[in-house]
Parts: sequence; C-alpha cells; structure tokens
Amino acid sequence: MKKKALVVLVWLCIWQLLAMIVHNDILLVGPAETVRALAVLLPENEFRISLMASFIRIVGGFLTGSVLGMLSAFLAYRKPLFGAFLSPLVTMLKTVPVVSFVILVMIWAGSERLSFLISMMVVFPILYLNTLHGFQSADRKLLEMAQVYHMPAWDRFHYIFFPSVYPFLLSGFRLALGMSWKSGVAAEVIGQPLHSIGNGLYRAKIYLATSEVLAWTIVIVILSWGFEKCFLRLFGFLDPSAGCGKKEAADDN
Amino acid sequence: MTIEAEHICKSYDGQEVLHDFNLSIQSESCTLLIGRSGCGKTTFLRILLGLDKPDSGKIQLLGDYKYAYLCAGVVFQENRLCEQFSAVDNVAMVHKKITRQTARRELQRLLPDEVLDRRVGELSGGQKRRVAIVRACAVPADLLVLDEPFTGLDAQNRQKAIDYIMEKKGSNPLLLTAHEADGLDFCRKVSIV
Repeated sequence: MKKKALVVLVWLCIWQLLAMIVHNDILLVGPAETVRALAVLLPENEFRISLMASFIRIVGGFLTGSVLGMLSAFLAYRKPLFGAFLSPLVTMLKTVPVVSFVILVMIWAGSERLSFLISMMVVFPILYLNTLHGFQSADRKLLEMAQVYHMPAWDRFHYIFFPSVYPFLLSGFRLALGMSWKSGVAAEVIGQPLHSIGNGLYRAKIYLATSEVLAWTIVIVILSWGFEKCFLRLFGFLDPSAGCGKKEAADDN
Repeated sequence: MTIEAEHICKSYDGQEVLHDFNLSIQSESCTLLIGRSGCGKTTFLRILLGLDKPDSGKIQLLGDYKYAYLCAGVVFQENRLCEQFSAVDNVAMVHKKITRQTARRELQRLLPDEVLDRRVGELSGGQKRRVAIVRACAVPADLLVLDEPFTGLDAQNRQKAIDYIMEKKGSNPLLLTAHEADGLDFCRKVSIV
C-alpha cells in the first residue's frame, strides 16, 4: 500500500514538473490546477447530474450487454445453429470501429441513449465469446459422469459448467468494464447528449479549459475504477472454489 | 434384473475393439472382466452405460426393470471428480437423495475425517479413488460398474474398499474390470480378448 502511494506520488511530481516545463495552461496544467478545477465543478448541480446520468447509462449498457452476451452464449452452446446465426453479428461488433456505430446509433436512436447502446454493443461480444469458450471448455469426462448419474440440469451447471465458465467470465468482465467506460464516454463526446460527462468534456474542450478536461477525466477514472472494484468484489462471491470446506449446509439441519 | 449384452461389435478408426462379445449379468452376480490393456473392457462398459453405441449387437435390460435407462453407480477409469469441490460435495452432488450428512457418513468409511471438506484437487491419488468408489456406492443404483476401481490403492485400502463395495452392493449385480484378480475370487471371471 505504501509502495503504491509512493508510486502515485512520484507520477504526480512528474506531472507537475512537466506542467511547469511546458508552462502553458492550454497545453498542460499540473495536478494542483486540476484539483482546483475539480473543486469548482463539484458543487455544481449540473456536474453531479451529468455524472449520475452517464453512470446510469454506461453501467446500464454494461449490465445489459453482459446479460445478453451470457444468455446468447448459453443458447449458442445448447443450439450450435443459433451460434452460427450469431457469428457474423459478433464478428461485426468486434471488428467495426466504435465510431461507425456511434454515428449509426445517433441516426437510429438519437443521442440520449447513445452511451447506453454503445457500451452494450462493446460489452456484448466480449462476454458472449468468453462465456461460450467457458461452456465449450467444460470437462467432457465430467459431463459424461453427470450423464451417467442423471444429474439435474441445475447441478450440472453449478458443479461442472460454472467452475469452467467462471475464469472466462472474470477475464471477460475485467476487459469489458474498462471498455464500456471508454466507449461510453467517447460516444457521449461525439453524440453530445444533455447531462452527460461527454458533454462536459466537450464544453471544456471548446473553452480550451484543459484543467476542466483533466478534472472530468479524473472523475471518469475514479467512477470506472470504483465500479470495477465493486463489481469484481461482488462477482468474487460467486467463485465456485470459495465455498469449499464449509461445514454442513442447511439441508442437513 | 438381468442385463444381456448380445453380439456386441465395436471399432474405432477401423480397428476392431470388440468382436461378437456376449455377456449376461444376473442379479446379485459379481462379474470381473479381465484382459490386457486396450482389449475393450472400458469400451464395453461405455456401451453398457449408454455413452457409446455399438456398431452391431445390443444391450437388453430384462425382467421387470421400471426405468428406460440403467441406474448405475459407476467408478470410471479416471476419477472424474469435480476438483474444485470437497469430497462431501462430490458424493452429494450426484443424487438428490444423498444429503451431505449421508455423504459424510459414507466417506468416513474409507477416508480420514480431515480430508472430507478439503478440495478434491488437494487429495492424493488414492484418496481421490476412494471418493470415486464411495460416490458410486452411495448413489441409489441397480448396478455397480467399476472400471479398474483399485488403481492407486495399497493392499490395506484395497481390501477395505472391496469390503465396502460388497456391503453396499446388496443384491445388485456388480461388474468390474481389473488387470489382476487378486482378492476378487468371489467374482465370475470373463476374459476379453
């Protein structure tokens, strides 16, 4: 912890030093100026509403994309024809640049739901592919064992599929969490919906208020980091190996 | 219940593994399939359990058997345990009638208390094998199918496992495979060539 704090401190010093060398508030401001800009922004109602609205849209998109990705992967595993049907869509979502989708979604759905939809479209293929790989890598021999013992579907999922899918989901979520924020905010900057982080960033850019741009960026990083930590902590409770060693479960009482 | 395997033939990649194999398994019987490695013992068990289809021949369940499929307690050639879960979980997971308490009680017959809640991945080969044996014997079944069940067990544990299996099998038929018949004199021996 001390080491981490020291590393952060060193980087802050480097940042401040660079700002002093550049000596131009439009090109680069130091951490102190950024904190001052943040202190001005924080009490503003519009700032807090923008943060809340963007958070809801981006996290909503992330969660919706995750659920759709996992459900589609399950269906694709069960029905390979469905997987074949989805394959071109997934390839397209993976390869087409986000900015193309941003423009298309703006035409189709307007800018209000833009970051929600873009975040969802970015997250969907990541979770879909990871979950599908997880299902496909379930141990065939254990599945045969389950077949021989006629294990119920839920138990098969709980004891065989989920431990196989879990590490794939974890790495998928790690990647998708960061991507959803990056793409969501980028979409907002392009789409300019009212009450959004992207709109705030854009306005700061128009007025060449670099300190404000950096203040918004810091807030985005904190929101993204905080949400990632909370989400992964909650997801960690589902770790199939975490419950091992527990004494008798409730069914024995 | 009688299980009749009639004229079973099976080939893999053009190589014949089983040729016109016949076997009758009666209630209460103990049958030991003996043969060199690769002679088709496991292949026959897979066909019997419905995991593979024979190229020709058939398996028939005769008598007043009420299920469409065979209810069997099985020890596979490999342990096939869920390594992230405990020994108790592994036994309790295969049938809703096996509570964790029952699983624990059964496991205590062959394993020391302190390993029962440990992740199976952390157990020794012999301990895992015993978990697999207990799982096969704990499940309500009409047939016990044990594929080389004593692999990795020392003489003492092997004998304990044999005694446990014979007690748990009751009046159900037992079909097992082994390389050698040591300590299995009570079984009818059938050679596969």
